[in-house]
Amino acid sequence: MRVPLSWLREYVDFDLSVDELVEAISLHSQEVDGVHGLGVLDGEVVVGEVVEFGPHPNADRLFVAKVDLGGREVQIVAGAPNPYPGARVPVVLPGSVMADGTKLRKAKLRGLESNGMMMSERELGISNDHDGILLLDESHKTGRPVADYFPVGETVLELDVNPNRPDLWGMIGVARELAAILRTDFRIPELSFETGGLPTDEYGLRVEAEDLCPRYDLRRVSNLVPGGRAPLEMRRRIFAAGMRSINAIVDISNFTMLETGQPNHVFDASQVRGGIVVRRAREGEAMTLLDGTTRKLDPEMLIIADEERGLVIAGVMGAGDAEVGEETSEVLIEVATFAGRSIFETSARLGLRTEASGRNERGLDPNMVPFARDRVASLLARHAGGKIAPDTLSHYPEPVRDWEVPLRIERAELLLGVPVEKDEAARRLESLGCEVRSEDGELSVTVPTFRRDLRREVDLIEEVGRLVGLDRVPEELPKTSVPGGLTPTQKKVRTLRRLLADLGLAEAITYPFGPDRWRTDLGLDSGHEPPKLANPLSEQAREMRSTLLPGLLDAAVRNEAFGVEGGALFEVGRVFEAHPPPEGLRETAIHFRLTGEVNRLGPDVEPDAASLMGIEETPKVGGVLAGTIRPANWNASERRAGFFEAKGIVERLVPGASFVPEDRPFLHPGRSAAVRVGDVLAGWVGELHPETAERFDLSSPPAVFELELAFCEPDPTPRFRPFTNVPTVSRDLAVVVESWVPAGDMLATVEALGSPLLVGARVFDVYEGAQVPEGQKSVALRFAFRGEETLTDEAVNAELDRISRRLRESFSAEVRGA
Amino acid sequence: MARLAREAARLANTSKFAEQVRQAAEAGRHVDVSKFAEQARQAAEAGRHVDQTQVVAEASRLAEQAQTAVKAANSLAELERLRVEYLGRSSQLTELRRLVRELPVEARPQVGGAANKAAQNMEGAFETRWAELTVAEREERLRSEAVDVTLPGVPYPKGSLHPSMRVVDEVVDFFVGLGYRVAEGPEVETDYLNFTALNIPPGHPARTMQDTFFLDEGLVLRTQTSPIQIRTMLSQEPPVYIVSPGKTYRRDSDPTHTPMFHQIEGLAVDRGITLAHLKGTLAAMARHVFGEDVKVRLRPSYFQFTEPSVELDVSCFVCGGADPKCKVCKGAGWLEMLGAGMVDPTVLSEVGYDPEEFTGFAFGMGPDRMAMVKYGISDLRLFFEGDLRFLRQF
Ligand SMILES: [Zn+2]
Repeated sequence: MRVPLSWLREYVDFDLSVDELVEAISLHSQEVDGVHGLGVLDGEVVVGEVVEFGPHPNADRLFVAKVDLGGREVQIVAGAPNPYPGARVPVVLPGSVMADGTKLRKAKLRGLESNGMMMSERELGISNDHDGILLLDESHKTGRPVADYFPVGETVLELDVNPNRPDLWGMIGVARELAAILRTDFRIPELSFETGGLPTDEYGLRVEAEDLCPRYDLRRVSNLVPGGRAPLEMRRRIFAAGMRSINAIVDISNFTMLETGQPNHVFDASQVRGGIVVRRAREGEAMTLLDGTTRKLDPEMLIIADEERGLVIAGVMGAGDAEVGEETSEVLIEVATFAGRSIFETSARLGLRTEASGRNERGLDPNMVPFARDRVASLLARHAGGKIAPDTLSHYPEPVRDWEVPLRIERAELLLGVPVEKDEAARRLESLGCEVRSEDGELSVTVPTFRRDLRREVDLIEEVGRLVGLDRVPEELPKTSVPGGLTPTQKKVRTLRRLLADLGLAEAITYPFGPDRWRTDLGLDSGHEPPKLANPLSEQAREMRSTLLPGLLDAAVRNEAFGVEGGALFEVGRVFEAHPPPEGLRETAIHFRLTGEVNRLGPDVEPDAASLMGIEETPKVGGVLAGTIRPANWNASERRAGFFEAKGIVERLVPGASFVPEDRPFLHPGRSAAVRVGDVLAGWVGELHPETAERFDLSSPPAVFELELAFCEPDPTPRFRPFTNVPTVSRDLAVVVESWVPAGDMLATVEALGSPLLVGARVFDVYEGAQVPEGQKSVALRFAFRGEETLTDEAVNAELDRISRRLRESFSAEVRGA
Repeated sequence: MARLAREAARLANTSKFAEQVRQAAEAGRHVDVSKFAEQARQAAEAGRHVDQTQVVAEASRLAEQAQTAVKAANSLAELERLRVEYLGRSSQLTELRRLVRELPVEARPQVGGAANKAAQNMEGAFETRWAELTVAEREERLRSEAVDVTLPGVPYPKGSLHPSMRVVDEVVDFFVGLGYRVAEGPEVETDYLNFTALNIPPGHPARTMQDTFFLDEGLVLRTQTSPIQIRTMLSQEPPVYIVSPGKTYRRDSDPTHTPMFHQIEGLAVDRGITLAHLKGTLAAMARHVFGEDVKVRLRPSYFQFTEPSVELDVSCFVCGGADPKCKVCKGAGWLEMLGAGMVDPTVLSEVGYDPEEFTGFAFGMGPDRMAMVKYGISDLRLFFEGDLRFLRQF
């Protein structure tokens, strides 16, 4: 809501700077989104009378004028041709500051001095008209400040009105609110007019859709002067409030809406056939609107029609028929209340939002109707020569009356956390238009119908709190005595993220929805449909991810494209899988999703909530290691991403995991593995399949992994193993085995021996080549032994023998050099 | 005292020898020890006496000569060679000492004493020089081992945590310290929990204002983390103290809106919870995240599931409100930080709590925006592109 301050002052007096006003409103009522300036912010604008006017001798498009400013004549260079000797014009003098901040100076234009500027409507903030200089009528006295007639500058506050306060969509409502904040009075324009026009009841009024239209009023105004313009000050205010001036009748209609917050509509009465019908649109009915578009309507939409055709989409926008035009001399004023939700849905479905629909969709107070109706009528009489009908037609079968809400002071004190004075609370509520009766410890508050948001005690407490001032609320802490903390799973995720960051990976967060290409490029089973968004922002963001991989790969592509030299990313996030409820349960599922209620299927059968949700979320951690993951240093060579880099990370996250070769369409068949914990699949790790890398536009395949969070143990609970203070003995054993023998199996077999002395075993070299027979490889193992006492050579050798024997039995391993 | 006396005696002897040696040197005399030995033998044979004074002088001359050589030695190796030369088995001093045995008994103490003194002197000189040279050689070695300390160290990997998550962790830690639990919930949420249970019935304008992503009928991507509050309250009795961080989704995309963003909401329901508790809790949180000096203020606002509703501003932690050109607060001096309010009685009733017995406050904030303010990031879209040029800065 745009609030021009000069207009606001018509209803309420305040002596605050703009900053103070903004603060008062934002700390006690609504957010102020912006402050705009129009016209001349500071300086002198006077009425001038043109004495001479002619072309500039040195410029084709410029003119020069001599202007009398009231006993003083100045020369002014102008860009518009419309002034003439004798014309009255607004002249802004050098030194004045315009709304955009520019300061006007004495200037020389093509050799001629210009001592000021004759102003257009736009420069004065009256309209967007910049075609010529504004010509003032004879009532403006030469030499007088223009501000004596209308403001030459305007400050406009942009209020971000909360949806529960439709009363603030009108200047009067804002004035009432400000008066309440400042504890002062406000005034409403008085309605005084004479009647004498043609009667309204020559037209019919029939409300067919009563449920969508609680109130509908009509009043006729006849004998209007056709084609008139609204007074300058009214046009200026409409413009400052963000609307366009059209003609006197439309301007008066809009002015009243801005003033009261109550939209209205004015029909050219001569075009209305028979009478007004308020009904739902018919199937297939269409309407060509004022904006030139033709809209197909449906029976959910409310329209205003005459006996023959639709005239207005109710509360939203009118059609060309029966609209006010230059020839209009007689009108029917419609002021009505519509069901807010219906207006909202119609406007949303048509994609059509107007000043009127924005107000109507909040659901307005039917009791605002008479004032707005007669305000339009009286302004038409005053400014367009109209004669007001003696009668009105009104459909208002169920009048809304004010209501009473009790307010307990101790309840207010409990919620607000501050002492509340009963009298002050009462005065504050009265300033909002309530009537307050005091009963011991309690107030009985009668709420005016324009405050439909004040229904409950708690609503009144909010009003008291904000008007008294939230700055009065002290800072306290609740006296909690409940145990808090992270759950073990939450702690685990923390540790895991920290660990991955310490291992050199950067934490990324990517979107969980993407294109179907994500799935097809990975070669994932297309038979299993992922959950899909019904209304994605684009087709590129429709499918919910079933793996973190594609988002991370897209990030890797981006990094490569911008020349980032490799790098490692990880993400902790959820993946989604569709498990549609079986056909027989679908209705139950939808009912559950919409109402939270689970319908029993039989006396003891209750479906579980998870199956009714139909989408399963699994938290995972994924990573991508691309290109150079550690650049070369002057004393260290670079590390490039590969299977074992990724595997090393997985080993830190899932201690005790086993790695089993297993095909995945998007992974290198020889450089990938399933990660298992016991017999359960925990995830996978590997180098990306070169073809997949190509499809994603990656220059070389990165190493990738993905694990279910549930299987990760980045910081397993330690279990102490006692040890003795005797030296550890290290022995190497090199064996030759067939190339296919997995080294991991060899280690596992050694471990399975259960040697009481063996405390460590690792592979420190693998060799294939000239030194070993074709098809075989040498695997060098290093063992660490420790016993209860210092080990003898014999004891160690015996254990080493046992190991090599077992390796020979299991893998035909020949000890090298033996 | 005894030590001092010994030291004084040693110095006296040294100067006496030095004097003798000086005189010998001045006279340019040079006597071969072997010559003495020969003289001594002959003297012994002849029953004559060797000139003792001359032998004593020769001993001190040897000591003097050794000391000079030792002082001039420049390496430990050279020093070792000199030790052999002056104190070794075949040195002249050793020869001199052997000679003592051949002297008449009455002459032996004087000559023997002189020889011992000379030996002691030499050894002292060797020790001193040895220590000097050891230090010098070590220093030389250290000098030669010096590196260019401006070369970079071994590149231990450095990863990073996402800026939003840094803020989430910080806020969560604060509330955990106050005794809150961390509650989580699904990102795909039911229409009921995302809207209706939060006092946003079907057809309510707030539903489209939030631009919801829909999935299968009745399912949405949660537009807020508030359904977690409902889930929590449905599953337990008060008191409830929870904080619930998570991803949320709205159909919005421009430089300041991304279709996915983070929220942290909190909920405290107990007997006697007031707006003052809300203000105190959130003020303490703001100080935890933005620094001890920040102030907070409440402004009235409107949310469907709180009444009264407020917004919380934090005083600009960059300029403190003093700089009209401040880029962070744009001169306002205040930063909009979060929305909050007292839980609407309708919501409490919906989950089966008695609003007369229990009151509560709830709040919601955007850690992405907080990170933007805290770290000075201008474009929200950067958060979700996995761009290492961005991520590595945190
Ligand atoms: Zn600032």
